[in-house]
Amino acid sequence: MKWDIPSLEELEDAVWKCTACGNCKVAYDFGPPPTYGEICPAGVEYGFDGNMASKGKIAFARGILDGQLEWNQDFVDDIYKCTICGGCQNQCELDHKPVIPEIIEAMRRKAVEDGVGPMPTQKVIAQSMRSYNNPYQGPRRVRTDWTRPFKKAKTPIKNIMKKDAPILFFVGCTGAFNLPVRNFPVATASIFQKLGLDFGILGENEICCGSTAMRLGDVDEFKRVAETNMKTFKDLRDNHGVETIVTSCAGCFRAMKKDYSLSDEYEDHMGGLKIIHTMDFLFNYFKEGKMKFTKELPWKVTYHDPCHTGRHLIDYDVDEDGSKQWKGSYLGKNEDNCLYDIPREMIKAIPGIDFKEMERIRSNSYCCGGGGGVMTGYGDWAVKNAGLRVQEALDTGAEQMVSICPFCHFNLNEGSKRIKSKMKVYDLVELIDMVL
Amino acid sequence: MTEMPEESRVDSRITARLCEIVGEKNATDMKHIRYAYSYDLSFVKSKLPDYVVMPTSVEQVQEVMKFANQEKISVTPFTAGTNIGGLCIPENGGILLDMKRMNNIIRIDEESHYAIIEPGVSHAKFASALAKYNLRFSWPVGPPSASTSSCAISHGIGGLSARYGLNSEEITSMEVVLPTGELVRVGSCAIQEDAWHSCLPLPRMDGLFTGWLGTSGVITKLGLRVHPTPPILKVFTTSAQNIGHMASYLRTLGNYEICDDLTGVSWWLSQVPIPYPYKPKPSDAPEWISFATTFSWTEKEREAREEIWRMVMDEETKKGSSLKETEYPEEALRARTQLPSQIVGSTKNYTKQGGAGISWPGTFTPLNKWEPVYEGWKKILIERNLSPAVRVTNYRGVHYGMLRAMIPFPKKEPATIENARQDIVECLKIDLDNGGIPYKPPVDFGVEINKRAHPGYVELLKKTKQMLDPNDIMNTGKLAL
Ligand SMILES: Cc1cc2nc3c(=O)[nH]c(=O)nc-3n(C[C@H](O)[C@H](O)[C@H](O)COP(=O)(O)OP(=O)(O)OC[C@H]3O[C@@H](n4cnc5c(N)ncnc54)[C@H](O)[C@@H]3O)c2cc1C
Ligand code: SF4
Ligand code: SF4
Repeated sequence: MKWDIPSLEELEDAVWKCTACGNCKVAYDFGPPPTYGEICPAGVEYGFDGNMASKGKIAFARGILDGQLEWNQDFVDDIYKCTICGGCQNQCELDHKPVIPEIIEAMRRKAVEDGVGPMPTQKVIAQSMRSYNNPYQGPRRVRTDWTRPFKKAKTPIKNIMKKDAPILFFVGCTGAFNLPVRNFPVATASIFQKLGLDFGILGENEICCGSTAMRLGDVDEFKRVAETNMKTFKDLRDNHGVETIVTSCAGCFRAMKKDYSLSDEYEDHMGGLKIIHTMDFLFNYFKEGKMKFTKELPWKVTYHDPCHTGRHLIDYDVDEDGSKQWKGSYLGKNEDNCLYDIPREMIKAIPGIDFKEMERIRSNSYCCGGGGGVMTGYGDWAVKNAGLRVQEALDTGAEQMVSICPFCHFNLNEGSKRIKSKMKVYDLVELIDMVL
Repeated sequence: MTEMPEESRVDSRITARLCEIVGEKNATDMKHIRYAYSYDLSFVKSKLPDYVVMPTSVEQVQEVMKFANQEKISVTPFTAGTNIGGLCIPENGGILLDMKRMNNIIRIDEESHYAIIEPGVSHAKFASALAKYNLRFSWPVGPPSASTSSCAISHGIGGLSARYGLNSEEITSMEVVLPTGELVRVGSCAIQEDAWHSCLPLPRMDGLFTGWLGTSGVITKLGLRVHPTPPILKVFTTSAQNIGHMASYLRTLGNYEICDDLTGVSWWLSQVPIPYPYKPKPSDAPEWISFATTFSWTEKEREAREEIWRMVMDEETKKGSSLKETEYPEEALRARTQLPSQIVGSTKNYTKQGGAGISWPGTFTPLNKWEPVYEGWKKILIERNLSPAVRVTNYRGVHYGMLRAMIPFPKKEPATIENARQDIVECLKIDLDNGGIPYKPPVDFGVEINKRAHPGYVELLKKTKQMLDPNDIMNTGKLAL
């Protein structure tokens, strides 16, 4: 397979579009009324302009490209102190905006290529990927531990390699191996069964989607697992009747939808397959009245938009030569693919729920702090940042925080403990499972 | 490739002392961090600071200044570095004093209509806080993340400047750390600690810290007048075939003092993006377009403003003017009236075709000199294949206003940067010779100003600087003395 993953050098023209204006440093919207908020977790924690938003990251890229900056431990460290949340990207109005995360990742790829990245704790992930095919050093057989209650209840989940099904539930490593969030694949499968869906899992044959490796710049490892997965998906499509791949993990979803599409064989392997996030998938049943919330949940709930199901899915339209003049000459932005309204609509539809919004939401959502390898590389900072987000949730009067990403879920829960709050964090599938 | 001076005078002993003052996390000499402060979007040559320091309290600022003064290390104050004049690029290395972490809005007095802010408060933060009281400030068309206090102390202007003048005229009091580390206050807060309402009727000592380009002290708190926001916005848009007719219209309308913002833009600036390189204007397009922004409390007030505007249109038409009421593209109007604006502040419409670089001859010029200066600029710029993307704006009436040409250029190549620099300095000379004065001047402009200055002015400037900053440590070199 050939991959069109750009090197930093190939992105040089984009790097030279940045004017250092610093728009990316805060989330601002004219409104009216105008709203303002911090948007860069790295900037909030480390503060120097180099650490701050895409302004800083592009300064680093520029320094590398113009030969002024050479690798050293501190420099590599600062390149990895970024959750690649895209909060900065959403503020920028220059033509390199669509590739801002790529510029950050291209620097990491360069660091890995030059043998200086990722950071030591993150190297454990790379090693685990190679040895276990997942970033959690989880033995293969543990991957299906979460299915035990289903076996016990005599409603076992199909192994799709053995029994065909039109729907593959791609569980993801976090749900399978990360104990505190293991309830979310359980809830997903439980909902599917309640809806009477014919679905299966890859079971012990599932391997990591490669998202974490890609975010860390380990492109070889990403390609290895991505290629294996794409071959599996092709086989499932061609020989096992699979039409839809559903995943509850925002990271897997983004990887399959965006990162895999950088392969020249994407169409051949994945063409005709619908890749869909669980929430989007369930929303169709909800809309058609096939999924009814019958029980009451008298909770005060707020919703945290994960970066991966939100702004990472924005399509940007660049007026390359400026020929469109005023109308639409600023960067066009299509948020149709972002899962903003769907989770909110479903939460609000649960009887008894009192829904509260935080200040920074949707494309201006404040990252939980766990992405981009930060949870493994800089655990303390990740949790500290999550505490800030939990505080914002508490300020709304909410008592429960809901999200649709196991990473956010885990990290926000840790954040809540860190600030000694009573805030409980749930995945939306858990709520839905409770009221079905 | 950007040019960079050879390394550097980093001294780990000094870094260690700075870390002691502001904490390990807030001071550094790491090159990649310093590099991010070594350039801005202007033509000014990149230079590395030796240390970056982010104080979080007034006491820390004092300690840093005392130490720097004792060691004779240059200190360049910085909030966001978006001044378009290279004013935060440390000519002499030393300490880059990043003030962004002092970012509290200390008070918004909704009765007396003033606020007290720290230097790190951004327009975005201030705007959203003021909106809760239906209050506003004269927001520049710059990045919303930039500092309001730095805009004010740099004689910045904004969307209310036709009505209230420069943002420095809105300053009501100041707290400042002197280059030698003493804490001083000017304005009413100097007399009564809690009174931040006015610099007058005391001697105007705020003048020691406004327009000094960060060379005379570090502002740690600033009192600023803020204004109520009337609900009804009406923008009158007009075109003219030449600058003469446009300037005459802006003067006449300016006489009535009914506008918050009164601005004209040349065809090239009205384009998105500014054509780079130069592209001729279509012959049927007017050369100038203007927008006159008014805010009213009632419909009747709006109608009265409209009546005055129509009167002015008639008056000008009778003089034989090519003035016409015109449509201004909606998105353009939004960008210019919905301030602070991410769209305009992003510089996209300016730099898109140039690539990362933008500079200007930005000046305060008497209204009756706009025409000759613009014609001179146009000639120079078109000859060099650059667009005369010029803006004119009245400040508080009609005696003077902004005259400025936005020049985009590719920032990657030293040759294109140097070209832009030369062309802009050429333009500036024409303006200076017509009585205009550049604002937020890069050192190249400072040299031209001082060449023409009365010897007494330069002497007084030197003496004042010497009194405040005996070791010439603050933003060393920026006054081009
Ligand atoms: C596209 C674009 C459009 C713009 N339009 C406008 C406009 O319409 N009107 C306008 O006024 N400006 C405009 N600007 C310039 C600038 O964005 C604003 O003036 C801004 O508010 C300056 O804030 P800053 O934080 O960037 O200041 P900086 O650039 O960081 O600092 C400005 C000056 O103040 C000094 N300084 C900073 N902090 C302190 C302190 N605490 N004490 C003492 N000195 C200090 C610095 O040394 C420097 O000399 C524009 C900029 C851009 C990029
Ligand atoms: S990344 Fe975009 S918003 Fe940030 S400084 Fe560069 S041009 Fe401005
Ligand atoms: S991607 Fe997120 S963490 Fe990284 S620089 Fe941008 S806003 Fe900051």
